[in-house]
Formats: sequence, C-alpha cells, structure tokens
Amino acid sequence: MSPELRRRETISGYLFLLPSLVFFLGFVVIPMVMCIITSFTDATMNSNQPDVFIGLANYKELWQDPIFLKALRNTIIIVVVSVPVVCIFSLWVASAIFNMKEGPLSFFRVVFYLPVVTGSVAVTVVWKWMYSNYTGIINYVLKNGGIIDKNINWLGDPKYALACIIIILLTTSVGQPIVLYVSALGNVDNSLVEAAEVDGANNTQVFWKIKWAQIMPTTLYILVITTINSFQCFALIQLLTSGGPNHATDTIMYYIYYTAFTRFRFGYGNAMGVVLAIFIAILSAVQFRLAKEK
Amino acid sequence: MKKKLALLLALVMIIALAVPVTASADATEISLWTYPIGKWGDEATIKTFTDAFEAETGIKVKVELLAYGGDGDNKINAAIAAGQAPDMVMEGPERLAVQWGLQGHMVDLSDMLDATDLEEINPSTLAAFTIADGTLTGYPLCMNAHCMAINVDAFKRAGADQYVDLETRTWTTEGFIEAVKALNAAGNDTVAAVFCNGQGGDQGTRALVNNLYSGLFIDEARTGYQWNSEENVKALQTLYDLDGVNFDASIAGGDEMKLFRQGILNMAFCWNISGHKNTDDGNEVGKTLTGDEVAFMNFPTDDGNVALCGGIWGFGIFDNGDADRIEASKQFIKYVCDSDKTAEAVVASSFFPARTAAEGNDLTGIFADDEDMNVYNATIMPNLGDYYTITNGFADVRTLWWNMLQEIGAGADIAEATANYTAQADATLG
Amino acid sequence: MSKKNGASTGYRVFSWIILILLAFFFLFPLYWIITGALKTPAAINAAKPQWWPSEFTLRNFQVLFSKRSAPLFQFGSLVGPTVPGAIRWLLNTVFMAVMAMILTCITAAMAGYALAKKRFVGRALLFSLIVAAMALPKQVILIPLIREMSKLHLYDTIWSVIFPTVGWPFGVFLMKQFSEGIPGEMLEAARIDGASEWKTFTTIVYPMVKPGVGALAIFTFINSWNDYFLQLIMLASNVNYTISLGIATMQAENSTDYGLIMAGATLAAIPIIIVFVIFQKYFTKGITMGAVKG
Repeated sequence: MSPELRRRETISGYLFLLPSLVFFLGFVVIPMVMCIITSFTDATMNSNQPDVFIGLANYKELWQDPIFLKALRNTIIIVVVSVPVVCIFSLWVASAIFNMKEGPLSFFRVVFYLPVVTGSVAVTVVWKWMYSNYTGIINYVLKNGGIIDKNINWLGDPKYALACIIIILLTTSVGQPIVLYVSALGNVDNSLVEAAEVDGANNTQVFWKIKWAQIMPTTLYILVITTINSFQCFALIQLLTSGGPNHATDTIMYYIYYTAFTRFRFGYGNAMGVVLAIFIAILSAVQFRLAKEK
Repeated sequence: MKKKLALLLALVMIIALAVPVTASADATEISLWTYPIGKWGDEATIKTFTDAFEAETGIKVKVELLAYGGDGDNKINAAIAAGQAPDMVMEGPERLAVQWGLQGHMVDLSDMLDATDLEEINPSTLAAFTIADGTLTGYPLCMNAHCMAINVDAFKRAGADQYVDLETRTWTTEGFIEAVKALNAAGNDTVAAVFCNGQGGDQGTRALVNNLYSGLFIDEARTGYQWNSEENVKALQTLYDLDGVNFDASIAGGDEMKLFRQGILNMAFCWNISGHKNTDDGNEVGKTLTGDEVAFMNFPTDDGNVALCGGIWGFGIFDNGDADRIEASKQFIKYVCDSDKTAEAVVASSFFPARTAAEGNDLTGIFADDEDMNVYNATIMPNLGDYYTITNGFADVRTLWWNMLQEIGAGADIAEATANYTAQADATLG
Repeated sequence: MSKKNGASTGYRVFSWIILILLAFFFLFPLYWIITGALKTPAAINAAKPQWWPSEFTLRNFQVLFSKRSAPLFQFGSLVGPTVPGAIRWLLNTVFMAVMAMILTCITAAMAGYALAKKRFVGRALLFSLIVAAMALPKQVILIPLIREMSKLHLYDTIWSVIFPTVGWPFGVFLMKQFSEGIPGEMLEAARIDGASEWKTFTTIVYPMVKPGVGALAIFTFINSWNDYFLQLIMLASNVNYTISLGIATMQAENSTDYGLIMAGATLAAIPIIIVFVIFQKYFTKGITMGAVKG
C-alpha cells in the first residue's frame, strides 16, 4: 500500500467510524472508566462530602457483605438453572416443530416468541397477579385440582420465590433460541442424515452423531446470550419481590440498583458492577474459547 | 465525497442535539413532586392549586406524581444523583428531614416563620422537620395518626363484633386474638396480613407489634431500639402463631389497603382517614368494594394505652443553588400552607391541619359537618404516640424492620431474629 | 411426502400434545392480560376467577387514561393538545425505539464497513475494545451514566435512553461480520473508477450488507422497546415516560388494582405484538442472521 493510499484509508476509515465512535466512547467507554474509578472511592449522594479515594476497601467489604453474597448466590442459581433448561427446552421444541408445514411452524414460533415481544414489564405484572396469594389463578387451579389444600404465597415464601422468578425468566428466554434451533436444524446437511439412515442408524443415533455436531455453533451462541441475559435479570426482581422475602431473590443487578439509589452508596455499587462485569467477561471468554475449539 | 459525508455527520449531530431542554433556567417555572397524600396525589386536584397560583403570580408549577413503596424514593434519589432534583417536594419529615435533609439537600425554611406562624403551627410538626443543625427541612401542611381498620360486616358475620368497641374504636389484645380466631373459623383464610414486602406503610406493622403487649419501638431518649424486648417478642410470636394472620412478604402497605378495600382481607393494619375516604377501587366512601361497612380502629392493646404512629406532611425545597427559584418555591409554599387557600389544601389532603389558623383564617373547624373526620379526631387523633421516625438513620432502620418481619415470616427463631436486627438497628444510632 | 425421519407415530402424537399444552401455557399470560383489562373490579377480586369476563367494562381504560395527562407532543413552544398520559407514553416509546433503530443502523453500518475493509492505524485496538465491551452487562455503567447525562442536560429526556442504546457496540460488531463478505475486488474496482468513498459505500457496500441492517434494525427495536432498566433510571417526568415505565408506575401506585394494570399492559403489548405478527418472517430471519454472523 502506498503511503498516500494508507493516509486516505486512515482518514476515510475514521470518518466512517466517527458517528459510531461518538456514541460508543461517549455513552459506553467513558461511563465504564468512571465506573471503575468511582469504585475505589466512597462516593455517595451527599453533597456536603467530597469523594474520598479509599483504595480497595469497597472490594474488601463486598466479600463480607452477607446480602451481596446472597445476591451472588442467587444470581449463580439463576444462571446455572436457566441456561441448561433454556437450551434443552428450546432444542426439544425446535426438533419437534422444525419439519412441520409452514402454518403450524410459524404458529409455534410466534407463540414461543410472544413473551419476548410482549415486554418484560407487561409479562411481569400479569405473572404477579397470577401468583397472587389472594386472587391468583395459579393458587385457584392448584387448590381446585386438589394439588394443594391451602393457598401458597408463591412470591412471599423464600422456598418458592426464586423458583417462581426463574419460571417467568424461562418463558421470556426461550423464544430466540427456538427460532435459532429451528433454522439450524433446517440447515443440517441432509445427505449425511440419509447416509446414516441407509447405514441403519436410528433417530437417536442420527441426532447425536450428525445433527448435534452441526448445530454446535448455534448451541454455543445460545449459551452465551442466555448466560448474559440471566445475569441481567432485573425487572422481574424489582417489580415482583424487591429482592425479598428475606433476600431470597436478590440478584447482583438488583442489589447494585438498591445500593446506589436507596442507600446512595455509588462507590460501593460501582465496585459490585465491576465484579459482575469481570464475572461475565470470564464466563464469556471461556465460552468463546470453547466455540473456537469446536 | 467528503462534503456528503460531512453533511450526513452534521445531520446525525443535529438530530442528536435537537434536544428539548427540560428544566427551564429561570424562575417562571418551578417543579413540584408529590407523594400520594390524599388528593395531593391526584393530578386534577393539584392543578386547581397550581393554576390559581399561576394566575396570581405568573409562576408556573410543573407537577410530577410519585408513588410510595420505593418507586418514588428511587426517582427522587436518581434525580438528586443527576443533580436535577425538583424544586419542591411534598412529603413527611421521615424523608425530608432524615433522608435528604441530613444529606444537605434541603433549603432551610425557618425564615418563612414569623411569631404568628410559630403560635399557630403545632410545635411537634416543626420539631419533626427540624434537623440537628437547626435546618427546618419542611413546612408542615397537615397531620394524622395512623390507625387500623376492620371490615365490620365480616366481623358481624363471624360473630366477632363483640370484641370491638365501635363507640371508642378500641379493643383489647385478647379481643383481637379472639376476633381473628372467630373470623378464621368462619372460613376466612386471610383475615389479616403482616405485610413486609417493603417499607410502604410499615408504620402499621410497627404500631401493631408495639401496642399488642405495650412494647416500644425505640426508647424515648433514642438510645436503643427495643425490638427484642420481651413485649415485642411476645407480640411477634402471637401474630406468627395466629391462623389467619400471615406474614406476607409479597405485599406492602398499599397492597394491603387495596386488598382490604376489595373485601379480601378482614383487617388492615395500614389505615388512616385519607385511606378511609379513598374510592379509587370503585368502592363507596367507608365501604369495601363488596359493600361491607369499614370502621377505623385503634390498635388493640393489653393495657388500654394506645400509642399511634403519626404522619406529618408538608413541603420542602431542594437546594439547587438558584436563589430566584428558591424564592419562587417559598412563594408557592406560603400560598398553600399559610394563606386563605390553606383550608382547601388541607381538605384536599383528607388529613388534619398542622396549624390552628392561617393568615387569620381559622382552620380548626374546616371539617365541621364531616362525621368521619370528627369521629376520627375524637377517637384516633388523641392517641398519637412518640414521633420516632425522625431518628437519625431511620431510612436504614425501616429496611431492617421489614427485613426482620420477612425473616420471622419465613420461620426464623423470633428471639434470635429480633436480637440480631435490634443490634443492627442500634448500630445506626452511632 | 417420504418419511424424512423415522419418528414413530406414538412419539409424534406425544410431542403434539406436549406442544399444544406448552402453547397454552405460553399464550395464557397474554390472554389473562387482555381479558383482565376488560373485567370489572368485582370480577378481578372474586374468589372464583372468571375464565371469560361475565361482564365487559372499559372502566380500567378510563381510569388508566384519567390518571395522568400530557401534551401529545412538544417541540419548543409548539405544544400539542392534552391527551391521556398513556397515549403520550406510547408515542415516546415508538419514537425512542425507531430513533434508536435508525441511529444504530446508520452508525453501525458505516463503522462495521470501516472496521472490516479499511486498513488504518488503531483498528485492531478498537476492535478488541468493542468485543470486550460487548461482554459487559450494560446496566453496570448506569450510575456514572446518569451523572454524565445530567452534565449534558440530557437527563430526563428521551435521548438519554436512545444514545446509550446506539453506543452499544453489538451493532458495529454485527455489521463488521457482514461487511467481511464484501469482495475486495469490487471496492478496488470502484476506487479505480474514481468513485468517492461515500458513493462506494452507498452503491456497493450498503446493498451487500442490507440483510444485516435489517437484522440489526429488528434487534435494536426490540431491545430498545424492552430496556426497562435504562428507562427507569433516566426518565423522571410523566411526559417523558415510556409505556413500560408508565405501567410500572401504575403498578407501584395502584398495587393490586389488577384490572387497571392489565389495561396498561394491554396498551403496551398489543401494538408491538401486531407489528411482530405482521413482520414475523423478517423477525425470524433477522434473529437467525444476527446469530449466524454474530
């Protein structure tokens, strides 16, 4: 490349990048840097007090904060439960519908994708009503079906609350994976499948030996997005339980919000944010690495 | 080529910067955020005041309505964090003084009071709004004693009305227990709920627990919380053991009031005269949606000495550093809290006036022909107890309180839980 | 049709039954939202839930519309007629989602092309920064973001929720992947023909990445519509609310008045569901392509 061309490439490259960079640097990178800096201070909302640099004190406090540890535990439970369930569930549904005719196929695709488009707030408020201890349809059905004999306070009981939240999260998480799996399964190389069938392989064998390998990239993508999604579970908690009962449903995301906007401890909240980001970064790196190996 | 590119970039920037600036910089428009304090949570009612004020002074008041139960608090806190707090907020001392006042966000309003004002205004309301450094963080408008309520018809159907004295609106702890049992036996699974989803309405659960066996929330000298006292532990144990009373971590005070008004709960521990008059659920005044008669009641006690939690509401000004806007806000506060409009403003709150007269207008008789108000004034208001919600660190303390209830509701050992949380609460006293 | 896979009839019947049950389960919340919005308060609170409203009422919508009012629009001193707040919230939401979509597509298409095809100094560094930022849960930067927005006088404006969405680097990443596929010879040929950079972009690059832009548009639209957390923190005034925020506020204020809350949820969900069902094919395609390339 001639120097003249290189100069031209650089200038035009940056000009093309400029609009995007304004937003990316302005509203992602700068706040990110500010987040890291304030996590080393005792920043609060108090206008009488300047922020003081306190080193790693916020980070040390995190590991002694029982609520943070509980929130961390809950977040991990949500991720560990929802990620495999979403993958298995959506794979099963997709394999059951992918070779249907166009009509039923779109019907099911729409149905499973509906909770995603309906929006987290609308979905959450209706589930709150359905779970209600007093006028909830779920208690009514279970009671009349003879499954329970007394109303269960689903969201008010630490035994059930987190599970109830995970159920809602699942219904809003499987839409995209199903669409992806349907398309991935449709693209499986049929000649391989037929060859295997000629060799006398049964369905199960065909699935695991041939299809599974071919849909692996899709699976990995789904793992990554579901993991990130589950980590960010917030609206459900804020609208349903506020982290209760007795912190049974506190997640890190919700606790950051609570720390910052109810307890006004910005520095501490930011420290939590940094820790969460590191967590997700490590997990994503591992998953990307896996993806590359495959 | 670069021209077109530059043009496009300019276009993007223009779109990006064609931003409607929200906060006007001059003092001709000020903002007021209100919590739902009676009709002060109703857009149309507030508009009558702000319109009249604008007509008189030319100052426009932009109103935002907030909700209790975390939502409104977080909105204000986010606005403070953004450095764009509203000019005025209508709330009580537990937020104005203890939360925002102590953090240095409120303007001192003591220069608004002259000798006549000091004579007219109930001194305890002023004391509640005043913080340690002498700042008066709010200008009181109205006050109330928080009580509870019962569904009289449900009580009658269960034969539990014998345990309440509807004349004096009092009952005993023994009577309360018997009434719950009778209602439960009559097929009511959900007689009452010790709600603990959040801090909304927590004064109800505090007063209930403290009154049952004459416990205290905090000692009068404010040196230590008393949640683990023998009386309070006994009260919590009694409530926990009673069938029909659930510790419900899925609802807060506002939900409880609704459920009661909807006829689902037979008692409400979160109640006051404004809630009594509320008809938002399609019910009639003083009735449930199902048409049952509602009666406000004192909390049951074992010794006849009821101590109710008070509510005080007024206006505070956030210190945004603009003298003109602060002046305009003071003008509005004076217009509402100390003028010939004050009677109307108090009536709108459905609470009782925090002063005897305003600019020569007597306020003591503004509810003359309103029977509910008069009965409430005679039976509930005299039982106002210690106004402890202005103790330093109370914002954290109320969180601890409902967290403790959640833990007890989940089956924790009551003596242990109360001891643990009392220690944490004491730590906030410094 | 030849038997593509040898699944037994028994298994097929079984999977159909399960699918139909699941479809019911996924559709029910939406059904409950819409019927709930039309029920009387008495029916909502009845001990025995009504599967189908015995009496239809518009009371819930009337109450919803009477709770808040706002001007329909406001440009400087030009103020629209006063309408129920909920209508304004819907308009705000549409404006927000469409604006975020347009800005993201334009900036990301340009930046993605530059990153894929231009050789300039700092390209590798920038790209790693973008990949790293993608793994970050965006909520963690909200605390610093709120202060930044305030300094820019954007706090409590609809732009404060649009800009961070536009800055989110997923779009750039996606468009880079799409632009990789553009043959270098075509660009070279255009350059030799003397076409300007901009002309090359609009006539050669854009048509080739158009499917990617479509996918990105759909992604951004849904994400922006549902990004409740950002809206919750950035928007304070009723006139600037989005519909999600509006329902959340209604729920905070009116707690168990489920009829009213369902009316709000209906209003929030129906428009986007209609859009989704009409453009279902494009949605599915967009989602799939986004995943394959992303």
